[in-house]
Amino acid sequence: MGFGHVLGVLGGALLAHAAYATIQYRAVLKITEEEFSSPPMDVMMQLLLGLALCIWAGLAVPAKFLSVLPHSEENRIVSLPANMDFMTFNHRGRALPSDPELKLKT
Amino acid sequence: MAAAAVGGISADVPIIHSENLTSNVKSIYYSRTFLSIISGVVAGIWGFTGLMGFVFYFLVMMVASLGLLVKAKFSIHTYFDSWNRILIEGVFGGLMLHSHIPLN
Repeated sequence: MGFGHVLGVLGGALLAHAAYATIQYRAVLKITEEEFSSPPMDVMMQLLLGLALCIWAGLAVPAKFLSVLPHSEENRIVSLPANMDFMTFNHRGRALPSDPELKLKT
Repeated sequence: MAAAAVGGISADVPIIHSENLTSNVKSIYYSRTFLSIISGVVAGIWGFTGLMGFVFYFLVMMVASLGLLVKAKFSIHTYFDSWNRILIEGVFGGLMLHSHIPLN
């Protein structure tokens, strides 16, 4: 659960509370026999705040964008394997020319 | 056209990392689907009906596009192959999710 999830839950709770308040407001309107045009001001503020929080969460929670350029820094797959103890350098590969461009990913 | 020059091998076919592109587009779909549902809920509570509901939906989607642009750090061609990915991908699919909640 990251920061984005918390914002999303908070926004969802705000929207649920706004929905509950609007239902009650409509019930009152039904008794006083008035027409519903829009919810009261505080409910509208709750809706806007909840919407903003949910937009933030909806943008922050899904996976981060990854670079599609083949030569970008994060797409380089040059790194040392984990089992370094078993690396051997004294083999026929020594006769082959090495790639000077090869470098460690930092 | 800026992506076409990448790699310097071919001027016509841009070379892109297709797995990462798929991941990015999937991320956009998640965002848009969630925001479609949320905008439907808000429009339902607020009492937007008819044309006003559609206007509200497209307004939320425009804000979402701006947010995605910020998420891509304003360099679209580092993360996507075209602007349409950010601007219209998933907008019309999400329209079906943007339904109104009857409260009375």
